[in-house]
Amino acid sequence: MSGLHRSPRTGFSTEFTEYREYSPGDDVRFLDWKVMARTDREFIKKFEDETNLRCVFLVDFSKSMEFGGDDAGVKKSDYARTFAASLAWFLTQQRDAVGLATFDRDVREFIPPRYRRDQLKTILGRLETQPAGNATDLSQALEKLASLVGKRGMIVLVSDFLSPLDELERCLSLFAAAGHDVRAVQVLHPREVNFNFEDTAIFEDMESGQNIILDPGMARESYQQKYNAHNAALDAIFSAQGIPGFRVTTAEPLERVLQRFLEERPARAVVRQRRSNGRSAA
Amino acid sequence: MSFLTPLYLLGALGLAIPIILHLLHDRPKNKQAFSSLMFLDKTKPPVDRKRRPTHLLLLLLRCIALLLLAFVFARPFVTVDDPADAARRDRQWVTVLLDRSASMQRGDLWQQAKAKVQTALGQLGPGDRFTLIAYDDSTASLAEVKSWLGNASEAEVNTQLERLAKPGFGGSNLGQALVFVGEAIQEAEPEADEQPLARREIIVISDLQKGSHLGAVQGYEWPTGIRVTLEQLGEDDQGNAGIEQVASRMPWATAGAAPSFRISNSANGISDELEFLAHTTAGETLSQKVHVPPGRSRIVELPGEWVGKSVERLAIRGDAAEFDNQFHFAQNRQQTVRIVYIGEDKPNDAEGSLFYLASAFQQSSTLDFQVEAISGKSTDPLPEADLFVIGDAVNDSLAQALGQAIEGGATALMVVQSSSQAANLGQWLGADGVVVRDIASSDYALLEDLKLDHEILKVFGDTRFSDFTNLHFWKHRELQNLPDEGIDVLARFDSGAPAWLAARRGDGRLLMMASGWTPADSQLALSTKFIPLLYSILKPVLKRKTQSRQFVVGREVDVTRFNNGQGGGVTVMPPGDGAAAIPVDTVFTPAAPGLYTAKGSGWSETFAVNLTAAESRTEPIVMDQFKRFGLPMSSPAASPLAVEAAKKKETHRREYWQWALAAVLLFVTLETVLAAKGSRTAEPVMT
Repeated sequence: MSGLHRSPRTGFSTEFTEYREYSPGDDVRFLDWKVMARTDREFIKKFEDETNLRCVFLVDFSKSMEFGGDDAGVKKSDYARTFAASLAWFLTQQRDAVGLATFDRDVREFIPPRYRRDQLKTILGRLETQPAGNATDLSQALEKLASLVGKRGMIVLVSDFLSPLDELERCLSLFAAAGHDVRAVQVLHPREVNFNFEDTAIFEDMESGQNIILDPGMARESYQQKYNAHNAALDAIFSAQGIPGFRVTTAEPLERVLQRFLEERPARAVVRQRRSNGRSAA
Repeated sequence: MSFLTPLYLLGALGLAIPIILHLLHDRPKNKQAFSSLMFLDKTKPPVDRKRRPTHLLLLLLRCIALLLLAFVFARPFVTVDDPADAARRDRQWVTVLLDRSASMQRGDLWQQAKAKVQTALGQLGPGDRFTLIAYDDSTASLAEVKSWLGNASEAEVNTQLERLAKPGFGGSNLGQALVFVGEAIQEAEPEADEQPLARREIIVISDLQKGSHLGAVQGYEWPTGIRVTLEQLGEDDQGNAGIEQVASRMPWATAGAAPSFRISNSANGISDELEFLAHTTAGETLSQKVHVPPGRSRIVELPGEWVGKSVERLAIRGDAAEFDNQFHFAQNRQQTVRIVYIGEDKPNDAEGSLFYLASAFQQSSTLDFQVEAISGKSTDPLPEADLFVIGDAVNDSLAQALGQAIEGGATALMVVQSSSQAANLGQWLGADGVVVRDIASSDYALLEDLKLDHEILKVFGDTRFSDFTNLHFWKHRELQNLPDEGIDVLARFDSGAPAWLAARRGDGRLLMMASGWTPADSQLALSTKFIPLLYSILKPVLKRKTQSRQFVVGREVDVTRFNNGQGGGVTVMPPGDGAAAIPVDTVFTPAAPGLYTAKGSGWSETFAVNLTAAESRTEPIVMDQFKRFGLPMSSPAASPLAVEAAKKKETHRREYWQWALAAVLLFVTLETVLAAKGSRTAEPVMT
């Protein structure tokens, strides 16, 4: 047992959690003999299984994440990959098991979480490849990933979430039901937030290739309304599933975002202070 | 500058197309990739009013080409007036077309017409040419003055005019009259010493009623240099109501099939309540009110209580014009069709032929079928008949009489039911040794090889009716040793023996059936083929006997129809007491309405003649209709000089549009070159 993190499992460890009356079939190894001797009643002593953190990064590799670059600042995909890479490095340093899944319409790549010497290298190598996907279908990808990610752990979902949200809640609930600790990071470009284009142009959808002629001045108000409604719906889904959601733009310095992410308390879990070193379990 | 077809100038509105296209072409060049269009509306932005069209030079060329194209189609021409021509006194040819149709009897129209003729005469100068033509259904030249001599010529024309006295009862065929005059003018050869004509004018003096036939004008190519002036009379027309007979609603009803009449009221009619009258031969007048709103027509049946009385004239009352209010009526008499059956059958014997023959014919309002049966052994003289049906062997005297009747034009249908008829058959066909042999067969026979193009079987020609396979013949006979020529085999039995035969003997026909229609012989009497077959045999008789006896003024009446197609020795008595009989050979053309009587030796038939129904439509023709028919109503005067000038003008006009067409081609070529250049230099579109 070398992990720094609380595990959702119970088992042999030094951290006592509760007593429970013995019932036939329970492992007699967990009987508290002392209590039985004192009170003549059988009690099972439950301990928290303390283990390494298993964290899987689900990174959106769809075309829409390619927005940005050149004059328009950092690409969303670069930002998201750097974010995931930084966090992966950080967790590896803590000797936690880290995995990676990339997806667009479907799951493209899945590296199961492990703690190995070359795991970080593999993850970074995968993150360096250019996204080649097209449309995003969060629902389908998440549904598949829910079956791929086995043991309970932390799931960090990095996407722009710019796709229909119809099935998202149901898919996220699959993770929650499996006991995963899910965090969502929505990476957006400032132009997606403000829609501050000026000239009339042919706007082309990066995923579908569809294009329309648009005067941004005229379209801005309607865009903002729909954009806000979409984000509100997304927040409502996160809130309903108890998922902490981080909305970041590529204009924000990455280190601050990382700091904010690490400081965020998990929604459901109780953070305990490790007696040994006093660090918070993220 | 004027245009021959100015409406084509509307084509210039097509300019909007290139302008809009050039504005639309101002699409933004820059493409902006964006992560998702899910928050953007698909609606196109409204056209920017500040947007400026692109490729101005191209747009200009395209607009000019379109404008020129519209210009070409509008056929521009320039009229050049020559003042020297105007100063000279031109010789003119005035043709007056005077309407003398029945509708000109209304009010004082005829007086007005004559006054108009006088006005036209007053405009003539010495040396002018003048023609007076009267028209109704036909066209007749009344007066022709080649060189006008003033009062002397006027007196001559007036004499001719007075001879007309009053309009007739004919219809109005204005189209035919106009074409007649147009052709006369075109064909007129100028005489050697004649001064050339400067103007050719046709003045139509008429009420120009809607009932006029104009069809002939349509498509007629008018010679150049003719002007038509329409002098319309009776514009303050108060409307008119007319009456005409229409087909009966129940032509096959035996009784109560009253004749039907259409009473129409013109749109400007003064009243919607008309009186419908019937005058009987007994001098009685019956009347009833009929409600016909203006602009509508109504079909009125002769009331039941009037039908029994012999009505000779119908009338309407209550409209402004009287001329067409009488309708002479010759009621179609029920014609008798006599069918004589020769045989021993009883009329009510359902096993015999006569029973089915008598049941096949139904009485109708126009036809009364009388079926008479006589014995083949009878020594009485043979009665007259339209059809003889011979169901048994006949004695010699009867056979001889029948032979003569057939040669004389009668139709006989011989149903061969026994071998004893062979002798009769041989006698009528002029052949010796004719044998009738009964075919003994346990199986039934069917018909085949039907000659459906023969006049008798033509009625079954349609594939829906030509199936005879359900018709079974239990017994049949074979006619042997028949002559080879002069006999048509209309159908054969499936054994190959002739079943139905037809032979022409003299003017008559002898039809033969090798099997009868009695239930013992075949299923023919009970099949759907029996009645059509009998009516088809009687068709020439029925056609002759169901002809109408209503005719129209000015149209030929074939009097031979009353005498079974035989002409000669017919006299026609016109209506009126003192009228003299008119001897007619074959065709008679009535000039006035009324009841006429055609008489021959031993017969007499009354027929009715009325005005043509179109004459009742007195509302004026819309003037646009004449323009649509291409009547040269406003073209300038034309003399040989003017015609030459017109030709010149035509040439000029052609030159103009040719030049304009050349310019169009030039501009289109330029546009193509510029556009090609533009597309080469255009930057590739960034995708």
